[in-house]
Amino acid sequence: MARLANLETEYPVLDSTVRNFCASHGIFSAAFAEQNNSSERLKEGIAQVLSIIDDMHQPWLNGMELLEDAKRNKHVFPTGIQGIDLLLGGGIRVGQLTELVGPSSSGKTQVCLRTASNVARNHLVLYLDTGNSFSPQRIAYFLGKTINPSSAQAKNQFLQKVMSNISCHSVFDIFAMFDVLHQLESYLRCQDGRGGCQMRLLIVDSISSLISPVLGSSSTQGRALMTSAGYLLKKLAHQHNLAVLIINHTVGGEGGYSKPALGDSWKCIPHSRLFLSCDRGSNNYNVSILRHPSMASGKAARFVI
Amino acid sequence: MGSHAKAWLVEDESAREMLDRVLTERPFLLLPPLHRVPLRVGNVVELVGPSSSSKTHILIQAAITCILPKLWKGVSYGGLGHSAMFIDLDCRFDVLRFSELLNHRIMEAANGSSSKVGCHQKDSEAQFERMKPYNEELFALCMKRFLYIRCYDSSEFLATLKTLHYRLQKEREVHGVNVHLLLIDSIGAFHWVDRGSSSFPLECDNRKSWHLQNVSEAVVQEIRRLLLVHPMLVMATKAVVLGNKYSTNELTWNYRKWSAVDNPYSRNITSSDQQLPYREYMPAAWQSFVTHRILVRATDDDLVNGEHQNNSIYLLKWLLPPLNSLDKFTVRDTGVFILS
Repeated sequence: MARLANLETEYPVLDSTVRNFCASHGIFSAAFAEQNNSSERLKEGIAQVLSIIDDMHQPWLNGMELLEDAKRNKHVFPTGIQGIDLLLGGGIRVGQLTELVGPSSSGKTQVCLRTASNVARNHLVLYLDTGNSFSPQRIAYFLGKTINPSSAQAKNQFLQKVMSNISCHSVFDIFAMFDVLHQLESYLRCQDGRGGCQMRLLIVDSISSLISPVLGSSSTQGRALMTSAGYLLKKLAHQHNLAVLIINHTVGGEGGYSKPALGDSWKCIPHSRLFLSCDRGSNNYNVSILRHPSMASGKAARFVI
Repeated sequence: MGSHAKAWLVEDESAREMLDRVLTERPFLLLPPLHRVPLRVGNVVELVGPSSSSKTHILIQAAITCILPKLWKGVSYGGLGHSAMFIDLDCRFDVLRFSELLNHRIMEAANGSSSKVGCHQKDSEAQFERMKPYNEELFALCMKRFLYIRCYDSSEFLATLKTLHYRLQKEREVHGVNVHLLLIDSIGAFHWVDRGSSSFPLECDNRKSWHLQNVSEAVVQEIRRLLLVHPMLVMATKAVVLGNKYSTNELTWNYRKWSAVDNPYSRNITSSDQQLPYREYMPAAWQSFVTHRILVRATDDDLVNGEHQNNSIYLLKWLLPPLNSLDKFTVRDTGVFILS
């Protein structure tokens, strides 16, 4: 919160009279303004300070405005996998964080690649890869399965167009991810409102490998970083209408069953959590809901990739 | 001079008149599932529970009860007709689910009244069709009374609270509605971020550092000031991890321990409210500000509904004021349904 003296250049109303008045009340920075009815100039000054503080938070919305925004912008994107789409009632939702949890080789990356190939037909996709698991061949394979066999040239052109909609960044620690996300935020702020292809999907594969190294039990910095990362993702998802897909691993819990990694503080961050597992030696996968905004947890389905 | 002094002694109203006036302007609220203790403006209620224990749902239920009108076009909805403000610190609010629940409540009240009159089946359907435009008008009216804001960190939360007074004054002047309910989803959302940033000192000496305690004290001070001028009922949720100091082996809460009377643990709960079944992490400023505290958790039992839905059963226990009873409830589309 800025000092009032520093704000005078931007807002000339805050001249020395107003500042003296504020100083007499013990107000030295923009955060501590109070109401008083003595003079017009003071009133203007106070109103100016209040509007500065008003800019520091998100705007207030009423229920109808929220609902309109949800209906207009917050669509549902199908993942392309029938079992998951049926279970989720359409697919993953824009504006929400969907977390895929599962032991290794349970199909999490495959689901992400399939979703990316589906969404990239019409929108831009950003894939943050922490373990070199992004595979363009797999995406081409998924795309090849769904297009009509036409001329090889048309097929190539289609593949080129869709593949150019996906950008893949390798990030190997959490600070690199913060860098990329802040750059993404400035990029999206310029892009929003302009026509053309908009970014609609952000995939982080996997967030547990970025956060687990900093999450030691002795320091609080790790959990602070984890919470800030979660909130940055939620902000991007809501303000720029992205669907965010995050991959998390599992760790052993009590009783021998596995539970999602990153602990209890992370539980409150994603909107939906899906647990994936694979039947040994086959292509059949199981998915069950751990948490969903509008569906009971425990619902399960099977799917094939 | 003498007449002025005498004027001070003349009474305005008798005690009975005052009680009547206060009870009509500031009624007691009995919101299921919090119906055991009547709540009124000025109370600060804290809903505590692990993740996924329907805390946000209870807040939404309270908001819907607040924004529905008491009586509208002949149908009684049993609401308060005031505005409700929702400060979303968790940023997980789903407005589509909220509008579904509101619609269900409206239709339930409308159907309830038409069936009371004893209509024939065909008549009630025709009446329902006639009611449809009414429902949309009523729906829009209620949704406009629901005010929502998201905060992505503590400084946004503080800025919101500091400008809330002027926002409420403007609402009162422009729309003529009073705000009766202030809902905060997850008061402990920025706990780790604030703890982590306490190690960064600011340049100036006469400014307060950004400390967890300072942030909490500022929040409590702002809400207290707000309650003086705009009396409201404050409800906040808090996510905790259940587990107690005494049984360090068992991390899962045992239902039997609550109901056994001769269990020494349950005696501790009723005698003093210091033996909490979870680790309290909010600073003392907030803890002493809270006037009512409730613990909710999900059980592993499911209520088979006959349709394909399996609704989980939740347990509720009053910690402040400490009550000995346990309530069981489940969440349906029309709201919270008390089981016992």
